[in-house]
Amino acid sequence: MDYLIFSFSLMLVYIGLAQLLHVQFGLLGIPNFGVVGFWGLGLYGTGVLYVSYSMPLIVAILLASLITAAVAYILSHLVLQRSGQAILAATLAFAAIVATLIITEKDITGGVQGLGTIGFPFADVASRNVIYFFLLMVVVVLLIWISAKLRDSRMGRSLIAIRDNEELAASLGKDTAGTKRGVFVLTCALMGLLGGLTAPLHQFLVPYLLAPSLTFAVWIALVLGGKGHNLGAMVGVFATFGLFDILIETYAPVPAEQAILLPNFKLFCYGVLLVMIIMFRPAGMLGVDGPRTRARPATTPAGDASVKEG
Amino acid sequence: MKLEASNLTKAYHQHEVVNIEHVAFGAKGLEGLIGPNGAGKSTLMGLLTRRIAPTSGDIKLDTGSGVKTLNPLKSHEVARIGLIKTNQRIQGFDSLTIRDSLRLAMTPPKDEGFMSVFASHRDPEDVEERVSQLIEAFPFTDRNGYARSGGEKKLLDILRCLIAEPKLLLMDEPTAGLPDDITRTVMDMVREKVADGKMRVVVVEHDLPLIWEYCDYVHFLSEGSILFEGEPEEVKSNRVVAEKYMGV
Ligand SMILES: Nc1ncnc2c1ncn2[C@@H]1O[C@H](COP(=O)(O)OP(=O)(O)OP(=O)(O)O)[C@@H](O)[C@H]1O
Ligand SMILES: [Mg+2]
Repeated sequence: MDYLIFSFSLMLVYIGLAQLLHVQFGLLGIPNFGVVGFWGLGLYGTGVLYVSYSMPLIVAILLASLITAAVAYILSHLVLQRSGQAILAATLAFAAIVATLIITEKDITGGVQGLGTIGFPFADVASRNVIYFFLLMVVVVLLIWISAKLRDSRMGRSLIAIRDNEELAASLGKDTAGTKRGVFVLTCALMGLLGGLTAPLHQFLVPYLLAPSLTFAVWIALVLGGKGHNLGAMVGVFATFGLFDILIETYAPVPAEQAILLPNFKLFCYGVLLVMIIMFRPAGMLGVDGPRTRARPATTPAGDASVKEG
Repeated sequence: MKLEASNLTKAYHQHEVVNIEHVAFGAKGLEGLIGPNGAGKSTLMGLLTRRIAPTSGDIKLDTGSGVKTLNPLKSHEVARIGLIKTNQRIQGFDSLTIRDSLRLAMTPPKDEGFMSVFASHRDPEDVEERVSQLIEAFPFTDRNGYARSGGEKKLLDILRCLIAEPKLLLMDEPTAGLPDDITRTVMDMVREKVADGKMRVVVVEHDLPLIWEYCDYVHFLSEGSILFEGEPEEVKSNRVVAEKYMGV
């Protein structure tokens, strides 16, 4: 039972991360491949502040999120105005640096030996993990609600404009660089916050947690669910993490000898799913076809009847 | 509103594309900028709106309340002072409907901050009204949908700039890709705004009859330099312009 609550709590974290990635990439077009880096900064930041500096958990989490924000701010100045490929490579490298530093700076982080223990708040309540689960749910529902409001707001419209054509948006007076920086820093800080909130779930932090697989899982979920739809991230996590890590691993009657094959089987299924989605529903399960792919009538009134070339 | 450039040059790979000693726009209501293909007209417009960084030279804007040097400004800051341009090549926001695109252009950036996420409704009445008014004036295939053809996208690009209410509008070949009747509607709209003193306009065009008809003053650019300036009649009868451009 505790394991199931742990799994569902972790799933909420994934949904939150995918939702933030939906804002970064789906709305604003920033390909952040360093999700695990920002999440990890929050996770380990919270761990270090809580264990080594004996800060109250909530203070540790908030401070760790602030540190994540500061790092994201520096990174945003270095890479955000470069090409998508450059951002992708830089954020991926950033996450790798974070993971390496966690291992090498063992005086602070405990290195490969790990860092712990981080307990749940309300330590004397028996079902504290259930309470914590609902707390996480509140945070994640709030994230989804805000990002849904964002999408339909004036700000969201300007984000979409920046994603579509940054130069044109700038020429209409939109501070595209500043907006991207602001949204990136805020969403990365929230990834850090989710990292901090994950710390009590794992209780004991090891560098293995910072493997890039978390980034890929979140990306796969977003692409599966639909990067442009505000619930796509959630559906994507259900279809991957929910289906495989929870349903199959917990309930499928797999003989013990075959159980070790499960993780590989899972990756295989992710791959097949991904290929099928990209082939048959490129906008994701929930995605609606954008104006780009909609069939267009051959002729239109304000068309090119009397085209003059410059 | 007076936009002035002095000793303005732009070189690509040591090849000078623009080299202007001095030029001023915005003194008259509606001005034309003409010149052969490759003369550097679009490059000049890009330089003036800070989309392209100059190799050397100064750009100054007199807004009536003091002179501003544009050189240190970013493209969006120039737009906020009231200087914007339409594009020769089709530009657009593919995921925004025609209406959203116009609403976006009309919304001042200060209203697009994080607090707008919690606003109870998105756009104020006056924005909706202006947008509908403008859309009704043109035969878009799908007024509530997306701009379809190249022509509609080009038109939308111009309408975005008009609804943003700039003080000085630069139009780079507004007729290219548009049917004649729509060009006329647009230019009449522009002329009306200029007559009302709402804005000043510079039009880059190869359609000379349109230039002669609408412009109060014309600049002639050739090989990166301003070779002649004057009233349409003077330009029409000028020998240099005739030789270099009209192929006489
Ligand atoms: N990014 C660039 N790199 C190199 N050369 C360029 C670049 N942009 C423009 N040029 C060159 O500068 C010259 C002027 O181009 P520009 O587009 O300003 O001309 P134009 O007067 O607008 O012509 P048209 O009437 O055909 O639109 C051309 O010879 C063009 O090839
Ligand atoms: Mg041009």
